[in-house]
Amino acid sequence: MKKVLILSLTLLMVFSFVFAGSVMAQDEVTLTLWDIRTAADQATPAVKDAIERFEADNPNVTIEHVPTQNDNYKTKLRTAMSADNAPDLFMTWGSASLERYVDADKVYSLESNMTEDWENNFMLAALDLGRVDNEMYGVPVTNVSPALVWYRTDLFEEYDLEVPETYDELLNVVETFTENGITPFALANSNKWPGSMYFMYLVDRIGGPEALQNAISREGAFNDEAFIEAGRRIQELVEMGAFPDGVNGLDENAAQSRTLLYTDRAAMYLMGSWAYSSFKNEASDMVDQFSFFNFPEIESGAGDPSNLVGTPGDNYYSVSTQAPNKEAAVEFLKYLTDSQMGEQLIEIGNIPPFTGVGEKIEDPIMKKIYDASQNANHIQLWYDQTLPLELAQVHLNTTQALFGMEMTPEEAADQMEEAAQEYYSE
Amino acid sequence: MNKKELMNNKYFIAALFLLPALIFSLVYLIIPIPLSAYYSFFEWDGIGAMEFLGLDNWAELLSDPIFWSSMANNFKLVAISLVIQIPIALFLAVLLTRKIKGASFFKTIFFVPMLLSSIAVAFLWRYMYDPTFGLINGVLNLVGLEHLTQSWLGNPDIVFYSVAAPIQWRFIPLYMIIFMAAISNIPEQLYEAAEIDGANNWQMFFFVTLPMLRATVVNASVLIIVGSLKYFAMIFALTGGGPNHASELMATYLYSKSFTEMNMGYGSTISVALFLVALIVSVVFLRFSKKDVRN
Repeated sequence: MKKVLILSLTLLMVFSFVFAGSVMAQDEVTLTLWDIRTAADQATPAVKDAIERFEADNPNVTIEHVPTQNDNYKTKLRTAMSADNAPDLFMTWGSASLERYVDADKVYSLESNMTEDWENNFMLAALDLGRVDNEMYGVPVTNVSPALVWYRTDLFEEYDLEVPETYDELLNVVETFTENGITPFALANSNKWPGSMYFMYLVDRIGGPEALQNAISREGAFNDEAFIEAGRRIQELVEMGAFPDGVNGLDENAAQSRTLLYTDRAAMYLMGSWAYSSFKNEASDMVDQFSFFNFPEIESGAGDPSNLVGTPGDNYYSVSTQAPNKEAAVEFLKYLTDSQMGEQLIEIGNIPPFTGVGEKIEDPIMKKIYDASQNANHIQLWYDQTLPLELAQVHLNTTQALFGMEMTPEEAADQMEEAAQEYYSE
Repeated sequence: MNKKELMNNKYFIAALFLLPALIFSLVYLIIPIPLSAYYSFFEWDGIGAMEFLGLDNWAELLSDPIFWSSMANNFKLVAISLVIQIPIALFLAVLLTRKIKGASFFKTIFFVPMLLSSIAVAFLWRYMYDPTFGLINGVLNLVGLEHLTQSWLGNPDIVFYSVAAPIQWRFIPLYMIIFMAAISNIPEQLYEAAEIDGANNWQMFFFVTLPMLRATVVNASVLIIVGSLKYFAMIFALTGGGPNHASELMATYLYSKSFTEMNMGYGSTISVALFLVALIVSVVFLRFSKKDVRN
């Protein structure tokens, strides 16, 4: 019995050596790809399809796709990177999540592979998050989802209101609705991030994207005028009754905000473009009563009204510096970002961060979101993803306190700046 | 031979059976305590390198106003739970052990909150608290008490009491069952003797039932104290400790520090502090109540 076991083990070993040898002989390349495209992920079939198309055209290359569930993925990637076990191809969320690995020399610069054609394939704002020190390190692949001001078109008609283009016009709209017993904005802020959207837009419209960039680079500060003014305007809206009562006790995840919209009790809703799929799921008979506009311009402010806040491109794919065959890996990235990939993403209701796929979108609202993203001068990634964790929490907490009138705009800004000084001095 | 001897040794057999449980409690209950204490001396994000800080985390804890206010909330919860859960549970237990019609029906009904999961209960109450569509404000409006309607979870002055309410509702049945079991263990003769002595119902309760339940009440109190000091689930699901830390407990604060901000070192410091507070309070309470028995 024992002899048989030993014999079979030996045979197995011999075979595996032979097999490995033959692989090398044919110059086969295997690329490992790590991302979060598990079976539950909507975009998985599109990525799988890109892999198949790539493998069909490059028969000597095999892509070993290893998907991991979102939260575990971050830990897994971090551990592998620190142990120098990086996969050939991996995914990040761009910006800080990518920069960390670039700084540690783990990411291969795509700059030399960035042909004009390929570069023009991407939405401008989406590319920004894949760049570190003006070099491309990651290409955006999935969903663009900016925050937009959703509104009930029928309610606007009923009260003879036009879509506001300036902030003063928005204040008029707010006043008209409060006079008629309708809450202007549906907002559920116990989760903190929904209220943060107002703050981010106000800062952008007042100080432009530079306000935040300067505060982070420490040329400016988090208690600069733009941040304080944003806080003031939020509290002005609160005092006008622009938000539901007890806004900090309502839960966005339990749809306590949207319920107000569906029952004619609220008229507007500042939320990411995913709100559109929520409307479809929760109030399918009302979908055509919803549309959106860009957050209005503050005339005295520096921000361009085409600027958006949101996710300019969700997942960025990069090549590791350790990948033995970088050419093949970069080639694969091109399959992952081609027009066929774009079409497949559109089919699942995703807005790909690629140019030239607009005419393939049939749904008018989706098309409008695509155009808004395309035309955006700048897309600011959510503060709670741009900022390091510690500061993100302070930002969320102080903004929630602004909505609850528990802090003055100056106090909130000073607390944020104090935390920033502590963080950046370390 | 040796093997056989060993298998006949009843202590060895007992140890063998205890081993699995011992391993589990070592790994999941005992070892984490000193381990947390160890982590509390470091700056650590849970994955990367650990940086030794000495007592910095502890110094920060002592001067952290949010920690102190969350600890105050924990003691408020202890007081509220003791005052509300024990008397109501006792009342229901006495009532349901009487031979009244439908006692077993009510027993089941009253026990239902205990069977629901904490998160489900929290969602149920969240919808009741909804300021626009919720049951509570709805009823208040219906009976003309509009001025009493509140933003139950949004107003920092009352949010703590709003989140404490479902905790009471959920845990009363547990103590009701414990008290019912204890009451049914009181010998019938005591009541017969009291009856012969001419005691009325109230006297029977205060001079027979209550003294006989003394040990059970003490145990229930310890459970309530420790449970309230380390309470987490429903507050986390209802408000996450907000708005602006108004309903924060030590455990929710420890969660947001450790897992939202990824500050495991400081989170461990809070958890060790929580452990010490719960330990000291329950030891003091047990001492105090034992002394009383001897008197």
